[in-house]
Amino acid sequence: MKQIEDNIRELNKLQNLQQRSHWMNKLHPLGKLLVCVIYIFVVASFDKYAMDKLLVMAVFPAFCFIVGDLSLKDGLYRMRLILPLVLFVGVFNPIFDRKELFSIAAFGNQIPVTGGVISMLTLMLKGLFSVLSAYILIATTSIEEICYALRCLHVPKIIVIVIMLIYRYFGLMGAEADRITTAYMLRAPKQKGIHYSAWGSLVGQWLLRSMDRASAVYESMTLRGFNGDFRVKRKIVSARDFLYPFIWIVLFILLRHFY
Amino acid sequence: MHTGAKGEILKIEDLHFSYEKGEEVLSGVNLTAHDGESIGIIGANGIGKSTLMKLLVGLKLDYQGVLEVAGHAVNKKNLSHIREHIGYVFQDSDSQLFLSTVEEDVAFGPTNYGLPPEEVERRVNEALLKVHMTDLRTRHNYNLSGGEKKLAAIATILSMEPDIIIMDEPSIALDPRNRRNLIKILNEINALKIVTSHDLDFIMDTCKRVVLLDEGRIIADGSADEILKDKELLESHGLELPLSLSRR
Ligand SMILES: Nc1ncnc2c1ncn2[C@@H]1O[C@H](COP(=O)(O)OP(=O)(O)O)[C@@H](O)[C@H]1O
Ligand SMILES: [Mg+2]
Repeated sequence: MKQIEDNIRELNKLQNLQQRSHWMNKLHPLGKLLVCVIYIFVVASFDKYAMDKLLVMAVFPAFCFIVGDLSLKDGLYRMRLILPLVLFVGVFNPIFDRKELFSIAAFGNQIPVTGGVISMLTLMLKGLFSVLSAYILIATTSIEEICYALRCLHVPKIIVIVIMLIYRYFGLMGAEADRITTAYMLRAPKQKGIHYSAWGSLVGQWLLRSMDRASAVYESMTLRGFNGDFRVKRKIVSARDFLYPFIWIVLFILLRHFY
Repeated sequence: MHTGAKGEILKIEDLHFSYEKGEEVLSGVNLTAHDGESIGIIGANGIGKSTLMKLLVGLKLDYQGVLEVAGHAVNKKNLSHIREHIGYVFQDSDSQLFLSTVEEDVAFGPTNYGLPPEEVERRVNEALLKVHMTDLRTRHNYNLSGGEKKLAAIATILSMEPDIIIMDEPSIALDPRNRRNLIKILNEINALKIVTSHDLDFIMDTCKRVVLLDEGRIIADGSADEILKDKELLESHGLELPLSLSRR
């Protein structure tokens, strides 16, 4: 089916991005992971009316998108499934919080701005920044590297394996879904979509085949000595690997407390 | 390191196996194999070739009988040791390639065994050279062709430098040119090779010894020349003479 194919191509494009030889891709994954997580925490910790201060935090995504040579358009497009969710968290704030904070002059009138509007915008911004930060991480770091970084942080093996396998299996399940729907479409050419009577058996097949594939992949991993440890080709840790997270984290804290 | 006769790295005696309460798939298999042999396991579809291969690498442990690889019984305790000696090339290459690029996947095995980076690098180079894929080392697995995927999958096994290489239906889904290429590459590999297939032409081109499987047992075990020419034997077990022989 066209849609599924598109999604797979999308996943592949993301992988291409992860394989670039840009210096940001080559940074130690632990540093990048820490920066991403700490950024999200700092952004989340801003006061709910502190939209003006929060805006300064845009410096991190702005830097990464520009210096990291990433396309903001692609980033927003790839995050399109999550974005509405984070943007809609605050939509009801204007209804509940009608306290007038200040008013702006426009067309000769004074338009009141309520706390609800500001807190809604602040929440949206927090959501947007967090999503962009996560995107920057996954666009410059492969899943193996992220898992390796998680292991460096002593996240339990089992959790890390599950994360990695889920990521792998998404790809597999997409491919299986593609195969099954293509086979169906070829034999029901005049139909739009899949007839509801076929859904049950197709979904059943899809799950069974995905599970088969998944266990074959896992078998192939264990046959090559996999025991839950990610041994990414160990990088020589350079000064840059320390400096990058250090500078950002110091900057985040400064912006949070003193600006 | 090896017990038993000199150079004997595989020993199977009276092997029985069935999937959970199902009918017995293998009922009394006997087989020994030595260093450097090339053995084709032939038999009709669904006869248990893949099952036998999975038993050899310890993917199924609830068997009865004797099963020894490089002198070690195949059991839970010995698994990691056995798997250093034996490599398994899956029928479906997509199951084998799960990292992003060819070189990462080829490095996966040796890295897991804790080899130093220079040694991993050397093995990756050598394995890719053996399958003539040096040019494609940084390519993404998802945009390899079917034939290239098969070769990459073989390289992921060669990099572990196993004593035994098992290949399950390697010629399936390959076009004639890739198939010829694969035959050439297999013939350059020195380890003990065990190839399952119902493509008897492929077996004829890659194996010196042939083992015929049917009804859970080994029906015939001998030189490829002898068995692959035996029309009556093959046909009575659901196989046909290799095309190249039947044409003559
Ligand atoms: N996971 C499984 N569970 C139950 N039965 C299986 C399983 N895998 C294979 N079988 C059965 O075992 C028999 C042998 O299968 P297999 O070893 O795949 O044959 P071959 O590789 O020779 O085609 C078949 O009858 C098949 O249906
Ligand atoms: Mg099979």
